[in-house]
Amino acid sequence: MTPTIIGKPEGTGNTTIETDVLVIGGGVTGAGIIRDLALRGIHSLLIDKRDLCAGASGGNHGLLHSGARYVSNDLHSAIECRLENELLKRLAPQCIEETGGLFVAVAGDDPEFAARFPDFCAAAGIRCEELSPVEARRLEPQLSEKLFKAYSVPDATVDPFRLALENVAHARMLTDSIYRPHTEIISFEIAGGTIYAAICRDNITKSTLRIQAKQYVNAGGAWAMDIAGLAGCADVSLIYSKGTLLISHDRMTSHVINRLRPPADGDILVPGGTVSILGTTSVRTDNLETIQPTMAEIDRNVIEGAAMIPALATARYIRAFSRVRPLLQISETEDGREATRGFALLNHTSQGLNNFCTITGGKLTTFRLMAEKTSDLVARRLGNSESCKTDSVPLPKGDACRWTKPGAAPRFWYQANNADDMILCECEMVPQSAIDEIVGAPGAEQEMTLEAIALRSRAGKGPCQGSFCGIRIASYLYDQGYYHDKTGLLHMRDFFNERFKGMRTVIWGQQAAQMELAEALHCGLLGLDSLENE
Amino acid sequence: MSNKKIPTINFKEKAMELLPEGASFEACLSCGLCSSGCPASGIENMDPRKFIRMAMLGMDEELSTTPWVWCCTQCKRCQHVCPMNIDISQLVFLARGNWPQEAKPSGIVRSCQLIRSTDSTSAMGLTPEDFVFVIQDVLEEVRQTQPAFKNLQAPMDKKGAFFFVNQNSREPMSEPDEMVPLWKIFDLVGADWTYSSKGWAAENFCMFSGDEEAWYEVIKKRVEAVSELGCQVWLNTECGHSYYTMWNALTRFGMEADFKLESLITYYAKWIREGKLPVNSNWNTKSIKFTVQDPCMIVRKAYGESIAEDMRFIVRSLVGTENFIDMQPNRSANYCCGGGGGFLQAGMTDHRRTYGKRKFDQIAATGAAYVLTPCHNCHSQMEDIGHHYGGNYGVVHFWTLICLSLGILGENERTYLGPDLLELIT
Amino acid sequence: MKEEARNFETDLAVIGSGIAGFAASIFALNRKINCAQVGNTGAVAYTTGYLDLLGSNEETQAAIDNPWEGLEQLKKSQPDHPLSRISAADIRKSFEQFTAFLGECGIAYTGPSETNITALTPAGTLKKTLCIPATMAAGPKAFADKTPCVIIDFKGLKGFSARQVVANLKDKWPDLSTARITFPEMAKGEVYPEVMARALEVPATRAGLAELLIQTAGEAKVIGLPAILGMHRPDLVKTELERLTGLQIFEIPTMPPSVPGIRLREMFEQVFPQKGLTLIPQQKVTSLCFDADSAVLNLRDNYGPITIHAKAVILATGRFLSGGLTAHISGITETLLDLPVSQPASRTDWYREGYTDRRGHAIHKAGIEIDASFRPLAQNGKAYHERLFAAGIILAHQDWIRGRSGAGIAIATAYKAVEAADQFLHA
Repeated sequence: MTPTIIGKPEGTGNTTIETDVLVIGGGVTGAGIIRDLALRGIHSLLIDKRDLCAGASGGNHGLLHSGARYVSNDLHSAIECRLENELLKRLAPQCIEETGGLFVAVAGDDPEFAARFPDFCAAAGIRCEELSPVEARRLEPQLSEKLFKAYSVPDATVDPFRLALENVAHARMLTDSIYRPHTEIISFEIAGGTIYAAICRDNITKSTLRIQAKQYVNAGGAWAMDIAGLAGCADVSLIYSKGTLLISHDRMTSHVINRLRPPADGDILVPGGTVSILGTTSVRTDNLETIQPTMAEIDRNVIEGAAMIPALATARYIRAFSRVRPLLQISETEDGREATRGFALLNHTSQGLNNFCTITGGKLTTFRLMAEKTSDLVARRLGNSESCKTDSVPLPKGDACRWTKPGAAPRFWYQANNADDMILCECEMVPQSAIDEIVGAPGAEQEMTLEAIALRSRAGKGPCQGSFCGIRIASYLYDQGYYHDKTGLLHMRDFFNERFKGMRTVIWGQQAAQMELAEALHCGLLGLDSLENE
Repeated sequence: MSNKKIPTINFKEKAMELLPEGASFEACLSCGLCSSGCPASGIENMDPRKFIRMAMLGMDEELSTTPWVWCCTQCKRCQHVCPMNIDISQLVFLARGNWPQEAKPSGIVRSCQLIRSTDSTSAMGLTPEDFVFVIQDVLEEVRQTQPAFKNLQAPMDKKGAFFFVNQNSREPMSEPDEMVPLWKIFDLVGADWTYSSKGWAAENFCMFSGDEEAWYEVIKKRVEAVSELGCQVWLNTECGHSYYTMWNALTRFGMEADFKLESLITYYAKWIREGKLPVNSNWNTKSIKFTVQDPCMIVRKAYGESIAEDMRFIVRSLVGTENFIDMQPNRSANYCCGGGGGFLQAGMTDHRRTYGKRKFDQIAATGAAYVLTPCHNCHSQMEDIGHHYGGNYGVVHFWTLICLSLGILGENERTYLGPDLLELIT
Repeated sequence: MKEEARNFETDLAVIGSGIAGFAASIFALNRKINCAQVGNTGAVAYTTGYLDLLGSNEETQAAIDNPWEGLEQLKKSQPDHPLSRISAADIRKSFEQFTAFLGECGIAYTGPSETNITALTPAGTLKKTLCIPATMAAGPKAFADKTPCVIIDFKGLKGFSARQVVANLKDKWPDLSTARITFPEMAKGEVYPEVMARALEVPATRAGLAELLIQTAGEAKVIGLPAILGMHRPDLVKTELERLTGLQIFEIPTMPPSVPGIRLREMFEQVFPQKGLTLIPQQKVTSLCFDADSAVLNLRDNYGPITIHAKAVILATGRFLSGGLTAHISGITETLLDLPVSQPASRTDWYREGYTDRRGHAIHKAGIEIDASFRPLAQNGKAYHERLFAAGIILAHQDWIRGRSGAGIAIATAYKAVEAADQFLHA
């Protein structure tokens, strides 16, 4: 069914959209749901109050778990991960780098735990092969000399941004399903146990949007409890666990490196293109909106990580970020690590609603499964008898989705050898044509912010963290007539502010020099610190 | 260049190895000063900043195979303008050496082979015997046809001479009369000098081909030749890279040399100051304007500002202070002309001329009628781009103008003088 | 091959090749002090050409129209600010001497006047500054008079968009329009301001560009270009283009790599040796110490070690970008002498959460302390050494970025440091 837009956007600034299913939350799960539904012929609208992967989906290691990390304490999750890992490698290879993973124990770790590891893996059906310390260090020269046990497992890395983009693009291709960023749910219109409409606000234009759907899905991640609350549901019980990760300037290892011990801080180092991602921490929090890495978390990650890989102690870091994990509350614990990382699908019938559900908990690796369960429920409620096809239909490559992969843009640019297609982001070598493709992609909003463009590419992800390319890309967009007023300057300011959040806790050494130049340019020359707000 | 597969280097790793701490690729701010200041920017759609970023992004196959490494002359201007002093040329050198012989520009490879083929170390394959013959032959002619120089010397293999003078192969092979002005200068100042039949040649294409082993061999032979004659000073002729390849090799390969390395420029300046070379600018009655080209190999990459000052002292003495117009930029900030790095022999003429456009503009901006330069490659390149871009300037070596100023420039030694200069001395 | 050690002596050594270092050399030359300047010159190339004295009130975050009044305010609100310790008369003199020198060397500047100039930026925002290159002067004037004007940009030039400039200025300057042209002989690929600027030193290129400018200007009599009006003789290039086109022309600074900064660098590097100053612009001083009768600076070049014995030294080594200060995970240190650095209690306090927070970041106020004679303080709160002085943005208690006061701090403190060094040398 194609959407109908009723009502005029002028005057009142109100619009009504009709769809079969409204999915709230643009993480990988939400994106996965609209694709799953689309494969069953169902039309949906996906909204997010910010943009894709703004929550935990965009703030993790990018690790496609083999499942080995959970074998000792959560066998169910471990098996789920194993199955999904294999599926995704087969069906979405463009989003995945098959790096392989190592579990390593160093002096001070529990040798008993290390010795039992293969048995745990076997119970979950996860392939696990012991390596001698010498072999392990030959594979990964950066590993500590104090390593005494090592196993190899089929971990891989995944690009969650690309995953979300490809799912959204496929849904659009199949049933014209739509994704709307910066669209925030404000309230629901409910009568007789049925939700008739969702009232939303566009956070950029400030206009109101009324969405009339038959089914409503809450895939709001850490915000799921709040969203359920808007619908009067009290049965979503989450605890929030904040995790902080660091990105190093260099790729330190080619495999995922895991600490061979019960899960704790700074356990994992994941390669991601030309960088490595180190983390994570787990700190209970009640705050969803203004979470920031703390110096203490940075230092903890560095210390713990350095036990496995000594060079982490002196590495240059270009960024640090925090996100909140929603964890299903099953018992009161200190830090949320004991809470299950399994997921739950709540149908809210106990709350008196017949067309609302919440999918929560879980992890990136099992997003497809979460989407499948959710879509099964929604399809059934719609009277649609199609079964799930995401376990067999490969995820097609969308053109505008290819730019998030590290190295994709420069290789494309080099092959094309077109001197007039100039590079705008010099650090990650993103050319004009990539920007053109992103802003011109089907379903792209009318005026994308620099942050939105950066999300869909590697722009701003290199050492300068956008300080130069933000200016060049904005200039280019003005040239193209895409930006045509002061809003372009606000986009620049907002972009630099956003990038800064990730840099703030790791500004020392070379980064301090980079920041000084950036700030001199942005504030000293361009005066972006003294723009009047709209 | 052939299709032979070029092995892939890990450039990021190599940068860590080769570049000093704090000046390695990690210090790069991506500001673009290097690219902005590099004449090779845009050729093959590459530039120094892209080179660094591609190394950091792991595009090793692309960097290992890009022809750009034959267009970067390794002039080190990128390092000069970079606030972090990052030197990309070292990685370019590495890339060059990594190309299989068959894939490298054949002109450069052949020249290196010729250098290694005889004791002369000549890139044109001139054997020691032939070199001795040419010198003798030209000397005879001068003695017979120029009465003032009937006792002119051009010593060969003179043991214990103070100066060991090298010689660029181009002169004895194709324009032997161009050697004579320098002999006259030595004669005038009473210099105790000699050529050597062994290791006499100046040029070094083995360095240009990125072949460290060959480079070392060549220098070893030359060092031996100097030591065998027991000379105190190896005096470098008006050739840029010959100085640099010798001077840099001694440190790079940890070689011992019991003689000093000096440039003719230093001595010209010294002799002029001492009055031994009584040059003056009185001949320049038409106020013909001159500029000077600072060769990268001698100024920025080696001596620095002191030799640039000496050059200017010489020029001002020769043509008159008011008739000397400096190029901009100059000295250590000068642009490479594009004649170095083997570009003249690489067979990439279009790229070489594109590279040379900035040099052409520099010269054109001075409005000078002549460029003086103590470097053969600069000389050839500036001549070529002058013709290509429709300039109206000439290029001359210092020895030519010195002899002109002294009124002792022979008939056959005036090839590079334009009619404006010729009319002043006939 | 043995290294060649070189030694020489001088009265005043200036360490640092930024605006402060170069300003110090100028003031030393004006006072006929025997001087040597050392330091890695790269970062001057980032400067925009604008000389800010005081452009923004950090307390109210309002733009400052009259910097002299602003300085009076500053004395009350930030008595420890380096500019608060210098009289307005001296600040004015320092700017007058600095800009006069630049003008003598072929880069004419407007002199310091009573009010700031409202100058243009490549983003189409406005900026308060005190002195600007003559090649840029017609821009603020045209803006003030709202004269019809065409902003022209070039195919292949990244980071400078005439449309951006106009889109953001149009509400204040309605008769502003845009055009794009292709620079002569640069039709393909990326073009750099530096390359265009140098090409304009050639008469034929000027003629070619002039034709294009005439065609493009239409009815307008004033045109604005990105900063490409020559490198070595910007005043000549501008005058010639104006003559050829009959138009008034001004340039607008660009983002790095930008021409005005490179102009200054190349000019300083040529002019100072001509005026008898010893300049070593490519090397960092590796160590500085003091013996019984002099300061001893050690550095190296391609040929080996160089030692300079100086009777007085001015430390003008800048901040993190130029390496005068180093930020470690544990704190900030002064790189050359390990002078005590006044700084926030911990790294957590270096930066606020909002990057463009108008109140600025505490890290920028870190720096070295000086006494009334512009001598840096040691741990014990006394002058580190009688021969040592300091100038520039390495000094504590100023945020040159938010205050829009970088050149002001550099030039004025260099003036005072040289004055103090002069007094010491003649004592």
